Amino acid sequence: MIELTGVTKSFGTLEVLHDVDLTVPAGSVTVVIGPSGSGKSTLLRCINHLEKVDRGRVRVDGELIGYRRVGNKLHELSERHILKQRRDIGFVFQTFNLFPHMTALQNVLEAVGKEAEPRGRELLARVGLADKVDAYPRQLSGGQQQRVAIARALALEPKLVLFDEPTSALDPELVGEVLDVMRDLAKAGTTMVVVTHEIGFAREVADTIVFLDEGRLLEQGPPAEVLDNPQHERTKAFLSKVLV
Amino acid sequence: MSLLSSARAATGRPSDEPPPPDDLVVVPARHPWRWVAAAAVLVVVAQFLHGLITNPGWDWGTFFGYFFEKSVMDALLVTLQLTFAGAILGFAGGVVLAPMRLSKNPVLKSVSWGFIWVFRSVPLLVQLLFWANLGYLYDRLQIGVPFGPGFFSFETSTLVSAFGAALLGLALHEAAYAAEIVRAGILSVDSRQLEAAAALGIPRLRQFRRILLPQAMRAILPNAANELVNLLKSTSVVYVLAIGELFYQVQVIYGRNGRVVPLLLVATVWYVILTAALSVLQHYVERHYARGYVR
Repeated sequence: MIELTGVTKSFGTLEVLHDVDLTVPAGSVTVVIGPSGSGKSTLLRCINHLEKVDRGRVRVDGELIGYRRVGNKLHELSERHILKQRRDIGFVFQTFNLFPHMTALQNVLEAVGKEAEPRGRELLARVGLADKVDAYPRQLSGGQQQRVAIARALALEPKLVLFDEPTSALDPELVGEVLDVMRDLAKAGTTMVVVTHEIGFAREVADTIVFLDEGRLLEQGPPAEVLDNPQHERTKAFLSKVLV
Repeated sequence: MSLLSSARAATGRPSDEPPPPDDLVVVPARHPWRWVAAAAVLVVVAQFLHGLITNPGWDWGTFFGYFFEKSVMDALLVTLQLTFAGAILGFAGGVVLAPMRLSKNPVLKSVSWGFIWVFRSVPLLVQLLFWANLGYLYDRLQIGVPFGPGFFSFETSTLVSAFGAALLGLALHEAAYAAEIVRAGILSVDSRQLEAAAALGIPRLRQFRRILLPQAMRAILPNAANELVNLLKSTSVVYVLAIGELFYQVQVIYGRNGRVVPLLLVATVWYVILTAALSVLQHYVERHYARGYVR
């Protein structure tokens, strides 16, 4: 479903991603872990072209993201085409980024149009917010806002959903309700890539765990391997700090 | 301290003691100086009102005689036309200029910057006189291929009437200020909002219209209302082009009858009333755009 080959990205002189290869099969859940500043978010943002890669390729469902190949050159797509590609890739932000002047339902329908209202209501019901369709984001708790954001990302019926630290901005007691929704999505066979610090969730839900450090993909494998028997020193050091 | 100790004593001996501490009545602090200050200010206000009523110089008879007079009403209409046409054209210009100035295209950016620079620099009065004398620079204007042949041609003086010159001047002046007000509004919106819209694949123009502008309006409105009030008063400057707006008209009348103060008062009171009406409008428009921001 997702195929990254040799993805490299720098901000100025700082290389945030170095030669990352990653394959995410359809219907699988990949959890990306790593210390802050290791390039996790950037990796995610490269998949839907919110960041342009400097080198390497991103493919979703076999289609190059952000570029078009002509001969042996890659031409950057027009913004219109990129926006169209993004409609297949749901994105959930750490800070929710709901539109504050719109109700929960309006947020969900903004990208799909009013015709999809029954589906919008259904999605909000699916994330447990059937009674909050007409609430504005400011009237909702952080956990509720994030669930609206997940419903909004699902409204376009994307091929995959990317989660960028979806629970990091939440009060501890609200983390569970968002993880529950994500767990249900995973069970329903949604292709997901999740950047998170919730190691327990990763162990339970992930098919593959990827460890990123200083822009390099150091280790990947099933949770039992990466979490319980890490091969790399950096992975061991990181896990010893988060698994207390 | 004494409160505390008596409370402690009360818990020690529960029989014939004063009520427990949670029954005590709170007495708010007194503010005698507030009363003194209010009284002093009221005396000054009373003096002013007394002057308004008793000073024969205000000539209230003449004031009421002209307040609803036909020529004043017509002039008021011209003032309103200049204000609203100027505001609509000005803000339309601002909505184009602000994104230009924020764009990555260096040509659009510099042209917008240059426009704002020039039209904020030139005093409105000077600009108005320029437009009124456009015929001196170009006696004919034509529409056609740039630097090539023309299709339609007009005499400048027929195309740019005095009213046209006034409106053009006000609109350009207004556009420069409106551009900065709109730009401030756009900058006030969290950039993550557009990122979220981009991640949802919402087309660019729709992002601007549906996501950015409604949120920017919250920051734009108070400043825009200010600017509109300013424009209302700035229309008085176009009297130099001999356009029959409110201020020009009262000057004409007091030039004839010599009652300067009451006629200036006629104009003043109308400006105050119109500003009040705009403030009411502002209140309701701001309330509309505040949806989602109040709990």
